[in-house]
Amino acid sequence: MAAADVAPVDRADIQGNILRAYGKAYDRTSYVFTHLEDPAGGREWLGGLLSQVTSDQERPDPKLRPDETLNVAVTYSGLQALGVPADVLKGFSDEFRAGMAARAEILGDTGESAPENWEDGLGTGQAHILVTINALTSQLLERALDALKAGVEAAAGVTIVYHQPAQLLDEVREHFGYADGFAQPAIVGVSEHKLGGGIPEEGKWRGLALGEFILGYEDEDSLPPGRRLPSAPAEPLGRSGTYMVFRKLAQDVALFRKTLREAAALYENGDEEKLAAKVVGRWRNGTPLVSSPDAPIPGFDREDMSNNAFRYLDTDIDGARCPLGAHIRRANPRDALGWEGLDDSGLLAYRHRIIRRGMPYGPSLPEDAVEDDGEDRGLVFVCFNASISRQFEGVQTQWINDGNAFHLGHDKDYLLGDSSTTNKMTIQGKPPDPPFFLAPQAAFVKTRGGEYLFVPGLRALSAIAAGRWQ
Amino acid sequence: MSNRAGQATAFMAITPIVAGKEDELRAYLDGLSQDESPFALLPRTHFARWVILDDWNDEKSQPKKDHLLSRYLIFTSNFDGDLSSYLDELCDKLAPQAGELWGRCVGCPDGAAGEALKEYLMHNKINTGFFVAAYPHLRVGDVKRALDTRARLIDFAVSSQGMRPAELQSAFNAEFLLTDGSR
Repeated sequence: MAAADVAPVDRADIQGNILRAYGKAYDRTSYVFTHLEDPAGGREWLGGLLSQVTSDQERPDPKLRPDETLNVAVTYSGLQALGVPADVLKGFSDEFRAGMAARAEILGDTGESAPENWEDGLGTGQAHILVTINALTSQLLERALDALKAGVEAAAGVTIVYHQPAQLLDEVREHFGYADGFAQPAIVGVSEHKLGGGIPEEGKWRGLALGEFILGYEDEDSLPPGRRLPSAPAEPLGRSGTYMVFRKLAQDVALFRKTLREAAALYENGDEEKLAAKVVGRWRNGTPLVSSPDAPIPGFDREDMSNNAFRYLDTDIDGARCPLGAHIRRANPRDALGWEGLDDSGLLAYRHRIIRRGMPYGPSLPEDAVEDDGEDRGLVFVCFNASISRQFEGVQTQWINDGNAFHLGHDKDYLLGDSSTTNKMTIQGKPPDPPFFLAPQAAFVKTRGGEYLFVPGLRALSAIAAGRWQ
Repeated sequence: MSNRAGQATAFMAITPIVAGKEDELRAYLDGLSQDESPFALLPRTHFARWVILDDWNDEKSQPKKDHLLSRYLIFTSNFDGDLSSYLDELCDKLAPQAGELWGRCVGCPDGAAGEALKEYLMHNKINTGFFVAAYPHLRVGDVKRALDTRARLIDFAVSSQGMRPAELQSAFNAEFLLTDGSR
């Protein structure tokens, strides 16, 4: 497919940090949810933010980058609170309209992770607008937050109902200690160079259609061009928009460390780091197990896209290197699921990709500590996709929370588990070595709250602020 | 035509619902709990269902709409063993449910239980054209036992990891050897 065949990317109309990350220079973020009492007051407040909204065009040139960025997303109850009429609301997807709390059962958000135990302000219909601010320094973030709060106070009927700060950890790792966030989908016209992020095809890789992530463009199903575009809200709201998933996931780092340490006593002469790598499918510095099964590559360069261009079928069909149930093999099975036998086209995986823009929150647990210090820490998981049900929920329900697709019975992702238990994890041995089992374990990750959101394009935001629905 | 697959049997009965009773019958079905299914009272059952058939689905292009003259209750069940003894069990153990369901159907004997209900169901029986049972030679109990054994074996594999051979053997025997000493 030639890039010229499809609509060019309208970068000025797409909000920033979706297609291209702002980058690690913006190492601190605040997620602020507001509640709107009055449609007209809410639209006026939103209108006041428009000039600050960062688009994908303003990709920070290191010399010209802004001190801070601002982005806006809206929940379904937020669209209602803004006065969007019912016939326009009908155009939004069912799962978005239902909201994340209503999908708790299928997402595995039960027990301690159930919506009734979520933090105040999330999952109740109270959260209407999410304003995300990224900044270069903490002073700049504070300044931007002060400005936002002043605007909220001055507006009619707008209140802040939830605020979560987040900040990158050293070496861009998440709290369990793994390099995170660098393997992202390759998108035609945006990031085809991200080898290994696209679709494995005939020994090469090709980028995914833009419409998998941005509404109003051809997706993988509507290509070749000229076929019907994927369903989206009517103009002007749908164009250049996308759906966003926001989840606050608390991580029990002490429990994770303790579990690995105890289990490793029986594994390969106490090789805890290797066991840690088997759970995720990568060594902690990001080196994939498929390409380097015995040790991490020192100084592994995660920006070198060829380092992410690995497959499963040719070298690791049985999971002797990267276990069949390892986190990255579940979350993006690449060619591992096969098609009509052993075709390596990745046909069963490529419609279920997401762009992740999460950020850790809370302080690091001191190195080597295996007792909990009572601090709240974890990941603000954020992802973007054109269809929450097909993409995010598909991954979460079929691949993370179930083992059937991988012939793993009831096994779940050992790292994420669900609210109650991880179940066991099987780490395949290299024949004739037997497999190693990680025993069922209380979950390391709990959901503290979440929302499904819609991220309008910039023209759509203007239309909403103006109350112009058609 | 076959109602049998291995030792498994298929049964289907269609009975017209008494006019005006449809809503009550539908409400009763809506109120049943999947967690406490009445079919659990019939442990030979593999799959079973009750369906209310409201009307034909018409095609837009047809010149005149077709309508059923009545609404119907469809009952299907796939189960272990022979039909006659299964219906005996059904008419005995499911008598309260039968009264709520077939008791609202045309021609159902008073009380909707026992030999009279069995005759009523046999009278309304529809033969099966093609029937496949997933486990034609295994009974429900066999399938449940196999699943239980599988789960126990997995638990054992996880918990016995790292044991020395003698310890492993004794743990295996303790878990899986039958109490009478036979394997």
